[in-house]
This record gives sequence, C-alpha cells and structure tokens, in this order.
Amino acid sequence: MAEENILPDEFLRQLMNVGEVDLVVAVPTHNHARTIARVVEAVRLGLVTYLPRERAVLVAADGGSRDGSLSLALEAAAAPLPAEAELRYLRTFQVVGGTYANGAGNHSPLRLVLAAADLLQAKACAVLSPSASVAPEWVERLLAPVYRKGFDYVAPLYRRHRFHGLLVRILLYPMVRALYGKRIHEPYAADFAFSGRLGADLLAGPEPAAPGDAADYLRAPLCALTSNYRVCEAFLGPREQTELAADLVPALRQTVGPLFRSMEEHPGCWQAAKGSEPLPVESGQEEITSEPLRLNRKRFHQMFCSGVADLHPVLATILTGETLADLGACAALGEQAFRFPDELWAKTVYECAASFHRNAISRDHLLQAMAPLYRGKVYEFLGHTRHSPPEEFEARVEALCLAFERLKPYLLQMWGGRQGGTP
Amino acid sequence: MARPPTTTDALWYKDAIIYQAHVRAFSDSTADGVGDFAGFAGKLDYLQQLGVTALWLMPFFPSPLRDDGYDISDYCAVHKSYGSLEDFRSFLDAAHQRGIRVIIELVLNHTSDQHPWFQESRSSRDNPKRDWYVWSDTDTRYHGTRIIFVDTEMSNWSWDPVSKAYYWHRFFSHQPDLNYDNPEVREEMWRVMKFWLDLGVDGFRLDAVPYLVEREGTSCENLPETHAVIREFRARLDAEYPGRMLLAEANQWPGDLRPYFGEGDEFHMAFHFPLMPRMFLGLKLEDRKPILETLQRTPEIPPSCQWCLFLRNHDELTLEMVTEIERDYMYDVYAGDRSMRLNLGIRRRLAPLLENDRRRIELMNGMMMSLPGTPIVYYGDEIGMGDNIFLGDRNGVRTPMQWSGGWNAGFSTADPESLYSPLILNPVFGYQAVNVTSQQRSEHSLLAWMRRLIAVRKASPVFGRGSIEFLRPANHRVLAYVRQLGNERVLVVNNLSHAAQAVELDLSRYKGRVLIEMFGRNLFPRIGDLPYLLTLGPYQFYWFRMRKV
Repeated sequence: MAEENILPDEFLRQLMNVGEVDLVVAVPTHNHARTIARVVEAVRLGLVTYLPRERAVLVAADGGSRDGSLSLALEAAAAPLPAEAELRYLRTFQVVGGTYANGAGNHSPLRLVLAAADLLQAKACAVLSPSASVAPEWVERLLAPVYRKGFDYVAPLYRRHRFHGLLVRILLYPMVRALYGKRIHEPYAADFAFSGRLGADLLAGPEPAAPGDAADYLRAPLCALTSNYRVCEAFLGPREQTELAADLVPALRQTVGPLFRSMEEHPGCWQAAKGSEPLPVESGQEEITSEPLRLNRKRFHQMFCSGVADLHPVLATILTGETLADLGACAALGEQAFRFPDELWAKTVYECAASFHRNAISRDHLLQAMAPLYRGKVYEFLGHTRHSPPEEFEARVEALCLAFERLKPYLLQMWGGRQGGTP
Repeated sequence: MARPPTTTDALWYKDAIIYQAHVRAFSDSTADGVGDFAGFAGKLDYLQQLGVTALWLMPFFPSPLRDDGYDISDYCAVHKSYGSLEDFRSFLDAAHQRGIRVIIELVLNHTSDQHPWFQESRSSRDNPKRDWYVWSDTDTRYHGTRIIFVDTEMSNWSWDPVSKAYYWHRFFSHQPDLNYDNPEVREEMWRVMKFWLDLGVDGFRLDAVPYLVEREGTSCENLPETHAVIREFRARLDAEYPGRMLLAEANQWPGDLRPYFGEGDEFHMAFHFPLMPRMFLGLKLEDRKPILETLQRTPEIPPSCQWCLFLRNHDELTLEMVTEIERDYMYDVYAGDRSMRLNLGIRRRLAPLLENDRRRIELMNGMMMSLPGTPIVYYGDEIGMGDNIFLGDRNGVRTPMQWSGGWNAGFSTADPESLYSPLILNPVFGYQAVNVTSQQRSEHSLLAWMRRLIAVRKASPVFGRGSIEFLRPANHRVLAYVRQLGNERVLVVNNLSHAAQAVELDLSRYKGRVLIEMFGRNLFPRIGDLPYLLTLGPYQFYWFRMRKV
C-alpha cells in the first residue's frame, strides 16, 4: 500500500490529474539546479522519441533543495518541445513535482518516486540521476527491458574512464557479486529501472534510517536479486564522474553501510549463493575509456600508511590479528614495492562486514576506518592497471572478483562465529 | 412547387440535425431488393421522431453504379431503381411537411464515363464537348499530383482508346474530371443545380470540390480558380434561391478548408475532416490533446458559415488529414486487421469501431452534438448497426437499414438473395439483434437515448450557434468547454477515459451560477471560489446549463 498519508496534498492532487500510466520517469533532485533543466529536456525528448504512444509521466522528486531545483525542473518540463518532437508525441506531456520529507526530517526522494509509481499503477519506472550525462536514449534503454520484455530491474552499464567509479569496481561490484551470485556491475546505481511489482515491494520496505541515507538505491537491486525478480543490465552511455567521488567517507556511508546492513536483512539469500553468473545485457556492453587522467597516487599511499598506523587500535577491534599484521606489512613496503593482494583486500572487507554485523564498534566509525584501507587498495590497483589495455584492465577486475568469490567461505565463517579483533 | 411553411431563418442549417442516408439502403417499397423513394418516404415519421431536421441523400441519379452512384450518367433524373422524378417530388413534399429539409448530393468534379457528355467528348477532338473534360496527349501533365484512391489507381491519367488521348481523373478511372475552365461546363452545372432547386431541394452537398481546377506546377487542389467557380455558383444561388445551402466536401487541413467559406460568399458549410479522426484518436489515447489542438487550429469562419461534424459516413474513416504517426497509431488500435484498411482510411461503422461499447458510442455522439458545428448522423448509427468488411470497397458500411428482426430486416419483402447487398447477420450486430423495432420498444435502447440527446441539443441554440471556450483542467483525460450564446452558457465535460475520473474545473468567472444538468434537469452545487470538483464515470459526459438564479 502506498504511503498516501505522508505525501503532500498538492502532490497527490497532481497524481490524481495524471491518472493511470504505463511509465514513470523520475528524476530525484537535491540541489541540482545546475543540471536539472538539461536532464528534464533529455527525458522529454526520450519519451517523445522512443515511447510516443505510451502513457508516461515525468516525476520531479525533490529532497528539499534550497537552490530551486524543483521549480527549474517544472519549468523545463513545461517549455515547448521542438516542433518535430511535438508532432511525434500523441499525448499531453505529464509532469508532477513534489518534495519529500517525512516527519523525521529525512529526505529520500526515491520514496516519493516509489509512491507515485505505485499510485499511478505504472508498469515500469526509470530513475535517472540529475547528471549532465543523461541522454534521451537512456529513457528507452532503461524502460524497454521492463516494459516490453518483462524484466523487473534494469541496472546500468556506462562508458566511463577506467579510474572512475573505483569504489564500485573494487569493492561494491566484487562483493555484491560474491554475496548474491549475480554479476551486477553497478549495484549502487543512480540510473536504473524497475517494474511495478518490484516497486510495490520496495515501497513496503522500511524507510531510510538516517538523514541522507539513500539505502533504497541499493535495496532496489538487492531486493530484485534476492526475491527471484528478473534482472538485466542495459548500456546507457558515457557517465560523468559524480561529485560524491571526491568525498570518500560519505560515499562509504551511503554504499558500504547499506550493503553491510542488507547482509543482515537477507542472510539466507547471500549465504546460499555460490559462484556467480552474468546477467542478461540489453543494448550494448560496458565500455571503458583510457584517456590520460591526472591522479595523485602518492597521496593514496600516504593515507593508507598513516591510516594503518593511526587507526591501529580501531582496526584491531575490527580485523583479525593476521589481517592487521598483513596490512601493516603492506604499509611497510615502499611505494615502488607496494603490494595489496586481492585476497587480503577481500579478507579485509569481509572482516569489516562481520564486525559491522557484530557491532564491534560504532558502525559509523567502522566505515570511516575502512577509508584508508580502501585507498591502499586503490593505490595498488592504479599502479597495476594505469597502462593496461582495456582487456587487461577487465581481466584485473575479474581476478579481484574471483578472489572475493573464492573467499566467501571465509566470510561465512567470520559471520557465523569466528570473531575479528585482537583479543 | 409547393413548400409548407418552414422557418424562414436563413441560418437554419446552424440548428439542423442532419441525417445522411442512401436511398438504396433505406427502405424498399417495390420488392426488388433495392431501396427507393417511396420506401424512404414511408420512413420519414421515424426520422421526424428521432429529431432529424435535414436529410442528406447520397447520389440517386442514373449511374452505372461502379462507385455507388458517385459516377453519374444523368444529372437530371432519378435512377430507375430508386423510382421516378415524380416519386422524388412526393418524397420531397412529405419531408417538408414534417419539417425536414432535403440536401442532395451533387458530384461537380467528375461524371461517369458513361455520361453522354463524355461519350461525345471522347468521340472526336472536334466534338463541341471535347473541352468539357481534361484531355492530354501525354500523361505527364500535372506531375506530382497525389492519387486519392491509392488502393486501385496508379495514375490520375487514363488512356482512352476511342479518343486516343489521356483523360484526367482524380478518382476512379471511370470517373473523368470535368473541365471547369470551360464556361460551358460551369453553365451546364448551374443548370443542373437550378433543376433541383426548382423542384424544392434545400441544398447541395458538393462532392470533391477541391479538385475542380488543375494548374501545372501546383497540387491541383484548392486553387484560386476553384474558389472562383464556387463563388460564381454561390452568387447565383443567393440571388435566385435565398435560404438554400451549399455544403462542401473538402478533405483538407483546417487552413486549406477555411478558404471554402470565402468571406461568406462560397460554401455555407464544410465538413470538419481533421477533427473527426482526432476524436477517435483522443478517445483511444484517453487524452484531449489531439481534439483540443485540432479545434485550436481551426480558423475562425464567417458568422454565416458553419462546420459540419460527423463521426462516420459512407466512406472510409479517412486518415488523410492526420500525421503519419497518428495514422499508424489509428491503424494499430482501430484496424489491426489490414482488411479493414482502405485508401488511407478505415472502412468500419461507428459501433464496431468502438467495440460496441455503449458508453463510448454515447460519448462520441455527445461530443459531436456539443462541439461547434452541425452534427450529421449516418444512417444506422443511431441504432448501432454493424458492418461487413468482406463486401469490398466501402460497401460494408452501406448495408440495408435494419428495421426489424423479421424478413430482410424489414428493409424489403424481396427474396433475400436479390437484395442489393447482404444483410448483417452475425449475432452481435445482425439485424435480429440490432434493429429499430426492438429499440423502439425500450426506453433504454441506444435509439431512445439518441432521441433524447437530439432533443436536448435542439432545446438550446447555443450548440449550433454559440461560441466555445475551452477549459484546461489539469486532468488531461477530461475535455471540458463552455458554449455561449448571448446570456446562455452551457458547460460540457467529457471523460475520455475508461476509468472514473475526478476533475477540478476553474469556473471562477462564472461564480454564483448554478449548474443544472440538462438531461435530468437536476441541480448541482453553485459555483464558488474554489475549483469546481466533478467526478465522472467511465466515458461519462455532462451538459450543464449555467444559470444565474
């Protein structure tokens, strides 16, 4: 049942005027004035070009922006289409906009989207990030697998620089793959699509626990993977680097935290999965680009070494003595000789997950403590792959994923009883 | 010529309820299997009770009937199958006595190739009537002119082996175009019109008028010279037969249609061709957009002129005046079976198109009767007759009128095999299920409902003569507008959706008025400061009189 009682009256009135739809395209915003108009224009063109017959609505779901994002979105949606596009679109272009904030003052615009999709009985819903990367064809590539082919969740594939999205490549992707047995390259995607069925399930789930917690973004694919929904991937196009990438600790909070929590919600699902299998891919493959990119690798090494040293007491409560010692040994190697084996990284992550589950320390502190460890792995990864051709880069990522899969029994052991932390 | 007293209002056509019928399809009094004027006259009471005030008769002239009478071989007679000229006179008088005017078809653009004029014209290049038609030694003139009957014709030129030349025809090859550059042709056609006007007909529906004149380097449609011809006829009509009416059949975009009204000196009325398919489109999309946009693009016309609105007619539901995308959609949703498609159109009757959904049939009729214009009801649609797409060409929508569930549907006492067309027989639309007699016995039949609808419409001149102002509620599934004439205001609200809808209407400028629903005459709440909330059932519509009490 949709959360009508927490939806603003004005938003409900807008939904009433839209009525039943086939498709929802939602753009959640939170202070995205710089890009939102362009994104709305791309969505409109996408619907007009690729889905002109379908009953569709654009939902501008705002999480309490202070820069006028919502009104900019609505203005852009009301602007006249190019004449040729206007001729193609048989229907009235529908747009609704609202701000979501529940009584606790949390801001998760995705909740608004889920409620709208449910109330409008949408068969398919696409969520698009308010990023300058969004192009009209993204609308069709996300919606078509759900609307026309019966998939329940569509994860994106992008063309991005090999060194963008590393948190996904070297932590989230390998771990989700090992846990749930499905190779979902972007498990924490801001651009995705879901079916009405899946949306109703997500809406029935718990609300985000903390301010700014975008747990729904991870819950969507995990719910799909763990509940026998049909999942696929779809290639969208180039993706710009998000601002979040610059700030690691909030990124860890928003991604790794929900991932670890999800393990507690569905232990039966991830514990049973063995190995992994690829997902069907619609419309193209992931593309990796390699243009030169300036990176301060040295700083990653420094932060790893100082983190291991400064946080030793904290890490000792999270990790086993053996793992902590191995990390110390890595930190003692110089920059040139630095190594951080995939197995060690996988063990580190798994031990953190298990300690998170046991509440060995404050969960937020645990996530913060992972930051320098992650940077060490990034340093090592960049060192090995910065000059590799694309096939070798992909092979490297695959090797890392296989390490996570091989060590899954270790995770089960840690999760079930053997404890981390130096006695 | 005897004419009973009728209204002397020169703008009578604005308030008319027009009923289109083919004599051959309506009622057979001679048991030869073909409808005739005497039979038709016997059914005028039915039409009077329905509320019809004008009849539009399809061609009844002598003809080889290769295009259902639109291929005329004698303009001043009646096809013997339909009776005699005397029969026509009697029919005309009977109609007038019941307050029903009669509009007849006049095919200006072309004749049958069996017409004596063409027979003379083709006989020799020196024949006095040679230039009554458009001849050429090659088939390259007027290159690029579109072909209208794309399913059957490959060219607008055909070779005549008798004349050893090509002749021009915008329709079937057996329908050569007359040459309106020839003043003799124009004079002769005026003579034809006078013949019928003298008998007492009230107007003409002039077929295929955009194509009267051709010029090199043009589309050969809607040319200034064509308008000059029309103006000439109109001037003579006004001078000698005031109060008679000319109705244009011009299947054109609104901008190209507007000139056919001239400055009130060409046609009195014209069919609103672009609106009709978009009503069906809007209904299927459940979105007012196509209807609203078409009406917004409809140009203003002179005060004495009027649009004709229709849902279906004897031809295919034409999709010429829609975009390719709209046409594809219409084909997909209304004519999935390709055999239903013909000549860029769909050859189905109203009820089968709407899947025999009574609510949608009512809604479409309600819109037709409430939008600005004069409505035309196609015979049989008032009882929800079906069609037979297996009859070829457009004959499937021209089957005998279904009067009863008895012998030959009450149309004729002839042997069923001798009927000009087979009856509709299937259990859903067949004459035993759908017929006038059955529906007259029920107050809840479609026929009874149509009667009431027409009566309510006729009770207020606002529908035929008033202005229109569209409301734009946020709910796009609702098409709402206010009709106004003098102090009278009528609010019309149509739900285009299969689902119930709620709609808030901004009626603030009418604050204080009370809404009175026009069918039941019940009161609705007074208009206040807040948006006026209405709820409508699936495909429901309201007509409200907005009264200041």
